Amino acid sequence: MSATRRLRLLLVPAGLFVLAIYAWPTLLLLRNAFNEVGPTGALVAAWSLKTAADTFADGFTFELTWNSIWLSLVATAIALALAYPLSLFLFRTTSRWRGVLAVIAILPMLISGVVRVFGWLAILGDRGLVNGLLQWLGLISAPLKLVFNWTGVTIGLAESIMPYMILALLAGFGQLDRTLEEASRSLGASPFRTFLRVTLPLSLPAIVLAAGLGFVLSMSAYITPKLLGGGRVFVLATEIFEQATTNTNWPAAAVLALYTLVLLLVLLAFSNLLARRLRR
Amino acid sequence: MPTRRLILKTGLATIAMPAVLRAQGLSGQITLQSYSGIFQDNYTKAVIEPFIAANPGVKVNFVPGGTSAQMVGTIRAQKADPQIDVSIMDVTTSSIGNLEGLFEKLTPAEFPVLDELLPEARKAGGEFGPAVTFDHLVLVYDAALTPPLAKLADLWRPDLKGQIALSAPPNIQGLALTAMVEKMEGGDYRKSIDAAMKKLRELAPSVNTFEPNPDGYSLILNGVVKVATGWNARSQLYGDQSNGKIRTLLPPEGSVFQINTINLSAGSKNRAAAAAFVRHALSQPAQKAFTERMFYAPTNAKAQIDAKAVARTAAAPESRSTMIPLDWNDILKVRDQWNNRWRREVIAAAR
Amino acid sequence: MSYLELAGLQKRYGASVAVDDVSLAVEKGEAVALLGPSGCGKTTTLRMLAGLVEPDRGAIRVDGIAMTNLPAHKRNMGYVFQSYALFPHLSVAGNVAFGLEERRRPKAEIARQVEDALALVRLAGLDQRRPRELSGGQQQRVALARALVIHPSVLLLDESLSNLDAKLRDAMRHEIRSIQRSLGITTLFVTHDQVEALTMCDRIAVMHRGRIAQIGTAEDIYERPATRFVAEFVGRANALPATRGPDGKVLLWNEPQPVTAPASGEFDVFVRPQRMRIVPLSEAVGAETVRVSGRILRSVFVGDHVEVLVEGAGGQLTVEMPSGSPALAEGAEVAVIWRAQDSLPFPREAP
Repeated sequence: MSATRRLRLLLVPAGLFVLAIYAWPTLLLLRNAFNEVGPTGALVAAWSLKTAADTFADGFTFELTWNSIWLSLVATAIALALAYPLSLFLFRTTSRWRGVLAVIAILPMLISGVVRVFGWLAILGDRGLVNGLLQWLGLISAPLKLVFNWTGVTIGLAESIMPYMILALLAGFGQLDRTLEEASRSLGASPFRTFLRVTLPLSLPAIVLAAGLGFVLSMSAYITPKLLGGGRVFVLATEIFEQATTNTNWPAAAVLALYTLVLLLVLLAFSNLLARRLRR
Repeated sequence: MPTRRLILKTGLATIAMPAVLRAQGLSGQITLQSYSGIFQDNYTKAVIEPFIAANPGVKVNFVPGGTSAQMVGTIRAQKADPQIDVSIMDVTTSSIGNLEGLFEKLTPAEFPVLDELLPEARKAGGEFGPAVTFDHLVLVYDAALTPPLAKLADLWRPDLKGQIALSAPPNIQGLALTAMVEKMEGGDYRKSIDAAMKKLRELAPSVNTFEPNPDGYSLILNGVVKVATGWNARSQLYGDQSNGKIRTLLPPEGSVFQINTINLSAGSKNRAAAAAFVRHALSQPAQKAFTERMFYAPTNAKAQIDAKAVARTAAAPESRSTMIPLDWNDILKVRDQWNNRWRREVIAAAR
Repeated sequence: MSYLELAGLQKRYGASVAVDDVSLAVEKGEAVALLGPSGCGKTTTLRMLAGLVEPDRGAIRVDGIAMTNLPAHKRNMGYVFQSYALFPHLSVAGNVAFGLEERRRPKAEIARQVEDALALVRLAGLDQRRPRELSGGQQQRVALARALVIHPSVLLLDESLSNLDAKLRDAMRHEIRSIQRSLGITTLFVTHDQVEALTMCDRIAVMHRGRIAQIGTAEDIYERPATRFVAEFVGRANALPATRGPDGKVLLWNEPQPVTAPASGEFDVFVRPQRMRIVPLSEAVGAETVRVSGRILRSVFVGDHVEVLVEGAGGQLTVEMPSGSPALAEGAEVAVIWRAQDSLPFPREAP
């Protein structure tokens, strides 16, 4: 047995694990997608494409797709705009508080999604922190609708994906070398020009990585849209959940889940391609 | 024909005999699946504990099942190897389980208590598990609201703008509300819900959330909204627990029954004990105890319930008279359609 | 007034002083080395000059213009980093053009100047390569071209050759020196390698503990070290502990010597190994010659010379003899002699 071949044996446990927790359920999902439901919601075992046909004949499916993609894009953009400078600071700082700061930055990751969402309700609600402050300052007379709508979901989602994006950015900043910025400064570039010409292009692979992660997490997030959406925010993830757990319509949920999976794989392949071109 | 009657009686007794004998020597463990939270607490106190006291050999394991749809999903997933013996869930989902063969048919021979039930309780399950509780949709509101809520039409009051939490379809509260508004507008949900859609569309801007989490009662108690749709039993109990901070209104325009059925899983591993529990849950003492504790209307017609408690349930005569006769099986068939109309016509108007 | 002037530069990091009162005057076109061990403050001095580190005190002037408060990008100094710091996302041409682009020069002029600069460092034709596709020496040349193409007022080289292998380093040393001479560019060169300093620069500033210990030509520094540290750091030296005899005469290895002693205190006498000669004990010496006796411990052939280790009453010393000198037997008793003027007495430092 060659060394490489023996090395490959190390993949066996992980491979089996992935097979057990991922491949098998996906197969079950695939099987379910071919089932049908009766008029009152009872499952009818079948090998048919009726559920899929119904799902894609419904214009709402594409509305959901667009909603999901748009929400994910906006949330990722906001999270990136906040996470990027923060990560850059964390990557750079020599402060002895660096470790503590890094932990604080990714702390939300360790808090359950439900608890975090209720935190946002306290901040964004009609009588929440933001509205209270704005009213106290006399800037608004009636509370702004910041929650139970797309605004709230976008804010909540951006916050929930931010820690993951910070970690991805920090991991991807490998090429970023302070000396390169000093070289740029010494060649006559102002700090801003240095950022544009050196720091930003060199952190682009990290940005693509983080944005890809944020996007995938946003697309599959359902707790935040569910709890902060006030029933007004319809995305693929909430619809899958709704079909599976309120309508008892497993076949429809399976079709939507597989559709979302394919959508994500296509988008991931695209972002990988982009990242590879940038790294070249 | 006395002889024949005698034989028949003896025969029945002989058939019933083993069941009785078995009941006396019951042992093992059964798993009951139903709603969590205050339902679990009160059901445990009022129904499960007396059952265990009468059957010391049996252990009852209560599994919180989430929503009714999640419960039927759990049972569906365990079809080959059932882990749950008895489920109490909404009739709209138990009927799915009945159709899929997840639950057993119950016979009056084995479950004589079936004959004590109200006709509509029997009808709810057909040949399968019957209704074990009745409830109805109510409006729940903040006791500090002035003037207090008096009718369904009050939801459209301008002072309630942004103060309403209601559960949109596919949640059954939303389905029930649709039928109620249609009737308020002089229509009949079986023919059309156009009037309800038009009226609800006007309500949309007043709605704070179409998906109250964790539920409307909590949102009122936390000051997020002033009015919510809710179920009578929980609303009554929360009202008591909060020292009257929330109040319950049965809309004079009419309401809709919500029915929970009790269901025996096909292939239960401890069928004898499970069946005994079903009989107990439907029995007069258990029905009485649970109604007096949590204000679900009883399904056992013979249960002798404290008049004060009855007045706070759907079983009160004035409640029964305003109920809209609604067949949940009909609603299930139009659920997707109603759901889509809500999304496009009602919720879209609230953005 | 000199072209480049550093006056009283100081930089502290917390309690430690990195650079303490460094003053230096450099003429136009002159190349000066900042030589010293790591941590002596030479790189910090260079970075203060480039504007990458802000001095706590002191002033920097170039051609009479105060630079101290100018940001790095306005100083027009060419900096070649130890790691070269080439932009990995830009081609060779892109790297070299960077500074010109920041100066908003016309495209055609940039192209021409980049071409010239690459030709100057003998990299013509590699302009479209990425830095990582180049060898270390080529990267070094790109860095040099990039720093030169902006026509800097001062060229700053930070340990620029330390990442190259020995052979390449030798070649680059001469190349940089000839480019520097032909362009007549004022250069400050930080190094810990005395050979680099001695061969590439007009003058050398030896730095020690944040201060300049001595400034002078290579010969000044080598032949007339101002401090014990300079004598130790530049070139090799034997340090012979000296004692004072009863008559005030200086004793080395217990023998009286024609060496002038400092006024007071303990001291050592420094002698370069190649200024020493080994002679038979019997050989007579003149009055102006220092002579100690000892036994040959070891004799090592190192190519261009032979190193001989001699042990005597006061310890050990090393003598460098030209190759081809008569072989000396280990263990032989010999005398070591040198001219009195080659003796450099320095006070003994408290450890």
